[in-house]
Amino acid sequence: MHRRRYFGLAAILAVAATPAFGQAAGPSAGAAIPDFSGIWAHPSFPGFEPPASGPGPVVNTSRRPQGADVEGRTLPPTNSILVSNPARLVGDYTNPILKPRAAEAVKRHGQLELSGAGAPTPTIQCWPEPVPYIFNGVAMEMLQQPDKITFLYPNDHQARRVRMNQPHPAKVTPSWYGDSVGRYEGDTLVIDTVGVKIGPFPMVDFYGTPYTEALHVVERYRLLDFDVGKEGLERDVKENRRPPGGADAGSAPDYSYRGKLLQLQFTVEDEGVFTMPWTATITYRRGGEAWREVACAENTRELAIAGRAAAVPHADKPDF
Amino acid sequence: MSGIPTQSSRRSFAWTIACAFSAAAFVSPAMAADGGSPIPDLGGQWGRDMLFFEPPPSGPGPIVNSVRKADGTVVLLNQCCGIVNPWAGNDTSPILKPEAAEAVRKYGELVSGGTVAQDLHNTCRPEPPPFVMALHFGVQILQRDDEVTLLYLLYNTVRHVRLNAPHPDNPAPSWQGHSVGRYEGDTLVVDTVGIKVAPVSTVDAFGTPHSPALHVVERYRLIDGEAAAEAQRKHGAIYRSNPAYGRGTIDPDTGKKGLQVEFTVEDPGVFTTPWSGRVTYRRLIGDWPEAVCAENPHFLGTDATIPTAQAPDF
Repeated sequence: MHRRRYFGLAAILAVAATPAFGQAAGPSAGAAIPDFSGIWAHPSFPGFEPPASGPGPVVNTSRRPQGADVEGRTLPPTNSILVSNPARLVGDYTNPILKPRAAEAVKRHGQLELSGAGAPTPTIQCWPEPVPYIFNGVAMEMLQQPDKITFLYPNDHQARRVRMNQPHPAKVTPSWYGDSVGRYEGDTLVIDTVGVKIGPFPMVDFYGTPYTEALHVVERYRLLDFDVGKEGLERDVKENRRPPGGADAGSAPDYSYRGKLLQLQFTVEDEGVFTMPWTATITYRRGGEAWREVACAENTRELAIAGRAAAVPHADKPDF
Repeated sequence: MSGIPTQSSRRSFAWTIACAFSAAAFVSPAMAADGGSPIPDLGGQWGRDMLFFEPPPSGPGPIVNSVRKADGTVVLLNQCCGIVNPWAGNDTSPILKPEAAEAVRKYGELVSGGTVAQDLHNTCRPEPPPFVMALHFGVQILQRDDEVTLLYLLYNTVRHVRLNAPHPDNPAPSWQGHSVGRYEGDTLVVDTVGIKVAPVSTVDAFGTPHSPALHVVERYRLIDGEAAAEAQRKHGAIYRSNPAYGRGTIDPDTGKKGLQVEFTVEDPGVFTTPWSGRVTYRRLIGDWPEAVCAENPHFLGTDATIPTAQAPDF
C-alpha cells in the first residue's frame, strides 16, 4: 500500500512535459524536463552493473577474458580481465540478497548451464522480458510524452509503457511488464513498477533469480556528464563482457561521443525471494546508428549452436 | 500510378528535405510541418475489430476472402473484413501474375482443408506493411519531428518511419523494411522498401507472396468519426464493449475523428498492376491491451510450440 501512496502523492497534473516545448515546467515546480530521447546503447552481457556500494545483483561465477575495453577496443583473447562468461550463466547463489528458495533456483539454473544443456530464459524462449530482466538489453529508446513514456527494446520489438503522474490502481492486474507509473524529480525520471505477471520463466536476471507477485522495481534515470558517468562504464567492463568487434544487435555505441551519458539506477525488492532490497546500474552511451531489429523467431544463433531448425510458434487451427 | 518507380525515383518520392529538426521533439498539432501547414494529430491508440483490407474507392483492389463451390467456381464474400473462416483468397484476381495466383490457390486449398498455413503473424515474426495492417486489431502512433513510430497490438511489431529523409541507396532487407515519411497537408505519407522475403512472407492473410521489389505507400489521414464507424460496420466490424484477447475497446463516440489508411502496393515480381486498399481505425479507450504472441491463447490452444534453444545464444 505504501507504494501506491508513494506515487499517489505525485499525482500532479502533467504540464507540457516534452522537450519539444523546451524547458517546460514539470511536477517539480519549475524544474526542466530532462531530454532522454534517442537511442541508447549498452552492449554488455549480461548487463547489470553491480553498484559501487551496497547489496548488488547476482553475478556470474563463470568467467572468461574480457572481449573489449571501455572504449570498445578489442582486447587480446588472453587478457587477464575476467568477466561474466555469456556461454555459462552460473549465478553466485551465495549472494546474501537471496533467500534460500531463490538461492536454490539460482543453483539449479547454474547446474543446467554447467551440464551443457543450457537453462531456459525468457530471451531464448521468446517470452516477454519483465523488469528488471529487460534492462539487460543491448539498447533502449525512450519516447517521452507529457502523459506517458514508451520504452522500446530491440530484442523482439518489446515495448513498455509508463503512465506519468498517476498512481498505481488500487488493484493491479498482473501483466507482462507490470503497472509502471512515473514522475520527474528534478533532473531524474523515477519509474515505479508493480504487478509483474509470473510467466513460465520467471526471473529477474539471466541466472534464474526468481521473483514473486511482490516484485517492486524503482528505476531512476538521469543524464550524467561523461567524466562523472564513466565511473559506471568502468564498473560495467569489470563485470560484463563486451563482445570483441561490437554488438551485432540493437545499436552500437558511438565511442567518439563525449556528451552526456544516461544512467539507470534501479532498486529491486521482493520479500518473497530477497532478504533485502538491492540495486544496480546500467550506464548507457549514445547509440551510433539506426535501430537494428532482433526477431526471436528467426533466432539464427540458436541454429548455429544447436545445429537444428528452430521450433517457431505455430497454430494448427485458425487464430480467429 | 504508372509502372513501378525505380529505386532512385523512390528516393526522390521520399523527399530529400533534410530538415534540421530537434531529435527529441514530439509533434504538436499546432506546429508547422512545412510552409506553415498544420501537422495532423494522428497520435494515440487506434483499433479495428475486423480483419483484412477494405476495398479502395476505385481501381484494382486487394485479394479478398472467397468461398469455393464444389464445381470449382469462386464466390467473393460480400463483406471484406469480418472475422470468418477459412481464409481462402480469390486466386482469380486480375492483379495476380500466374505464379502468385498459384500460391494463393494452394494457400486457399490448405486452409479450406483445415490446415493452418504458417504466416508472419502466427509464427510470431515481425510484420511489414501491408501485411501488418491486415491482422492487427490496433496500432499506437507516436509522432515526433524526425520519426513516426507505429506500435501494433500484437507483440513483435514496432515500425520506425524516418521523416523527411531518403531511403538509403541499398537498404539491407529487414522484416519491416525501410520506411520514410513526410506530411502532405493533412496526410502522413509513408514509403517502404527493402522488405525481407522469408518463406512465410506474404502481403496479406491469403498467402499472396511478394518479392524483394515490394514497394508500399501508405497515406494516413483523419476522417469524420461517423464515416469511420460506418466504414467499419459496412466491412464487417462488430462493436464489442468487452473485446476478446488482443483487441482494445473501440471508443463508441463518433464525435471523435477516425483514422483511415489508404495504401498502394507495387511488386512487378508478383502483381500485374499496382493495387490499393484501405484500413479504417477508430480510437481505442483504456489502457493498451497486452497481446503476447508466445502466450496467444489461440495458438496455445492448439499445441503451439515456442522457439527454444538447447544452448545459450551468446
